[in-house]
Amino acid sequence: MKLPDSLALVKAHRYKWIAIAIVLIALTALPLLIENNYIKHLLIMACVGTILGMTFSMLFSAGLITLGAAAFYAVGAYSSTILVMNAGLSFWAAIPLTLIITAVLALGFGAVFVRNAGVAFVIITLIFVQVVVLAVAQVEFLGGWGGIIGIPRPDPIGKVNFATKTDYYYLILAMLLLTIVVFNALYSSRIGRAWRAIKLSPNLAGTLGINPYRYRLLAFVVGSTTASLAGCFYAHYSQSITPGAFGGWLSIYVQLYAVLGGLEFYILGPAIGALVMTFVPEYLRIVKEWEPIITGVLLLIVILFFPGGILGTIRSPQALNMSNLQSLLKWLKVLLPHNKNG
Amino acid sequence: MSLSLFVQVLVNALTIGSIYVLMVLGLDIILRGTKILNFAHGQLYMLGAYVMFLFFQALHWNFLLSLALTGLALGLAGMLIYLSVFATLARRFTPTTTFSYRLLLSAMASVGLMMILQQGTLLCFGTQERGIQPPFPQIIDSFGVRVSLMRLVIILTSLVICVLLYLLMNKTSLGRLMRAVSYDPEAVTLQGVNTFWVFVFCFALGSALAGLAGGIIAPAFSVTPVMGQDVIFLSLLVLLVGGIGSYRGTIAGGLLIGLLLSFGFQFLGGIAELFVFMLVIVILIFRPGGLLGEAAG
Repeated sequence: MKLPDSLALVKAHRYKWIAIAIVLIALTALPLLIENNYIKHLLIMACVGTILGMTFSMLFSAGLITLGAAAFYAVGAYSSTILVMNAGLSFWAAIPLTLIITAVLALGFGAVFVRNAGVAFVIITLIFVQVVVLAVAQVEFLGGWGGIIGIPRPDPIGKVNFATKTDYYYLILAMLLLTIVVFNALYSSRIGRAWRAIKLSPNLAGTLGINPYRYRLLAFVVGSTTASLAGCFYAHYSQSITPGAFGGWLSIYVQLYAVLGGLEFYILGPAIGALVMTFVPEYLRIVKEWEPIITGVLLLIVILFFPGGILGTIRSPQALNMSNLQSLLKWLKVLLPHNKNG
Repeated sequence: MSLSLFVQVLVNALTIGSIYVLMVLGLDIILRGTKILNFAHGQLYMLGAYVMFLFFQALHWNFLLSLALTGLALGLAGMLIYLSVFATLARRFTPTTTFSYRLLLSAMASVGLMMILQQGTLLCFGTQERGIQPPFPQIIDSFGVRVSLMRLVIILTSLVICVLLYLLMNKTSLGRLMRAVSYDPEAVTLQGVNTFWVFVFCFALGSALAGLAGGIIAPAFSVTPVMGQDVIFLSLLVLLVGGIGSYRGTIAGGLLIGLLLSFGFQFLGGIAELFVFMLVIVILIFRPGGLLGEAAG
């Protein structure tokens, strides 16, 4: 009985590498096929969203729900901007420095935040985003509510001078692939297994010699640092940043990417979710004032009827929640005459 | 600072504080009873203000009657929301579902609801502010201290609601059931109680409290579609400071945040909000579970 299974596994493994190669080639060739600059812009923003969504998934893999992705995204954007514009560093020197600054900050704040798991952690991270936004807006040096404009492009490497969207696309693609490689290594190591154990039961993991606090803090630091990498890119890509761009809504969208794509898929889930959430609302722009309602309804439909998000439903369609659908229809029958009267 | 100004700021602080207390008691009841972090709570508060506008301003009913009906209407709305969305969601969970997964999905569902309610209200009623004629416009003037009667009525009404809530939670069998469900729903089910309707009641009661908060505040401030968004962040903050799962902590936290914000705005201006947030983080360093709560593992 074992043999066919393991054979299938070997085959699946081989196909997996072929699939990865095809996706890589497609991603590299994509800007050559697309003429439209706006679509390139959306692709770039989807990549940024994917990186942020992956940081959410990383914390979720350790059983923590963060609404604070936007906070360290903002910290990354602002510190890189200051390092380049005021300290006169090159973009490429500012990146590692920003990552170090964010890692130290994340360690300091994380040490306080991570002590509260569950609901309290969700609220703290959400409030932390507000703190960062308000704090940045209060400081004259950081441009206040008006933000900073005229952030220089990344310094050219050889002929690549970042004058076109294609150059930016390759830069963010490189960052995304780097993040995926690092995250994948973490997930398949002892650390990733420890995170999953903690998510299942912190107490049980504790009895097995895994310190939930330390591992969760590690997830927080790695996730926050990665978010700041995306922030670095965003500041030099959009060339202007305002505190308002990093508000609470951004974090909620980041969370949405992961849920929509599939929570069980730590890397592919946020990617699919970010792609869908970047492109679908663009085509809904015809009815702009209805857009939040449509997004909200879509979100409810996915959560209620497609457990596991898009990828989860594709992998196991039988898990599609038919009983929920039927019960909803039953309730609608009960509710409809009520609605007509009221 | 003169005595008059001090008393005015104090009354203002207690007004804001008592609204937060009502909001956060509702959030806490929902969170403890049904394990849902309800982000749509601010929108329920806003709907409460609109319903109050309808009953009191448009139909010219009595103030207390309108308020009671507002609470009832929002309770019904909460019941419908729970039955249509969260009950459907809860049916998917099995005993092996991890807590973080439950929390995330129900929070996301409430975010979806928040978007729908928020934008729906905006589309229905437009962006303009609506004022409600204050039912108690008098100003009490004694010993040179001038205080608006409306604010005192708001504080008094909130106090009465809190006392009623205390009696409900501690002196009735329904309250005992709600407290039991917040500790261990499975054990309550094993005692032969249909916990489903207890969950429904918890959610309806929480929604009614949000609606009452919106209804009480409506005559003192104006009614706008964005009022819910502004209040939800600070409500979550109060929940955190007071300690999740401690009603006494909630009341203390609500009044504390109200006082800090009011006096902060008086002395520091716009930076007060940031200052309060920082203070909360400092509090959490020393008391991870909030002022009166206990840290969760």
